[in-house]
Amino acid sequence: MTLARVRGTVVADQRSDGVEHPRFLLIEECDQSGTGKGEFLVALDMVGADRGQLVLLAQGSSCRWTYLTENKPMDVLVVAIVDTIDQGGLDVWKQE
Amino acid sequence: MVLARVKGTVVSTHKPSSMEGLKLLLLEKIDPVSMKGKGDFVVAIDSVGANAGEIVFYVTGSSARMTETTKGKPSDATIIAIVDVIEKDGAFTYQKAAVQE
Repeated sequence: MTLARVRGTVVADQRSDGVEHPRFLLIEECDQSGTGKGEFLVALDMVGADRGQLVLLAQGSSCRWTYLTENKPMDVLVVAIVDTIDQGGLDVWKQE
Repeated sequence: MVLARVKGTVVSTHKPSSMEGLKLLLLEKIDPVSMKGKGDFVVAIDSVGANAGEIVFYVTGSSARMTETTKGKPSDATIIAIVDVIEKDGAFTYQKAAVQE
């Protein structure tokens, strides 16, 4: 699982994934303190994440282990919104 | 899922029979902020009817075999959506309609 920041949304009407009412987020890979790496991906939102939030991604075949994505062609999923990250006793991330 | 622009088509006559009828497209990965190509190209199987110039996103790995088009086929990159709008920090970086006009 990797960390990413929600930067925006992606809208696509013509799709072949078969997922009903999906919400696609534009996410930027980032480090544990939320600093972006400049690498962007499209992820299917499972948790209602908002812009700016630090989220946890599941990638690869593990993405198909939810009721919504079972046997669907999905390979990046937002599975959690991160509240805090503690690194060596210091809070390096705290959601506002 | 990875964002890319359709740059062209790939034709192959020498391939397994299971791959017959599949449309292979040449994609260039893009940066969704500048909308410029990264110079990084991949070949993907099309399952949505994408055309040259369009922005798409594709899935990789075993998920690429999960569309109706690629079920049971040896694909590890499949286009699953044609992008209409990309929004970042409240502003549109891409709108399909605006490009076509």
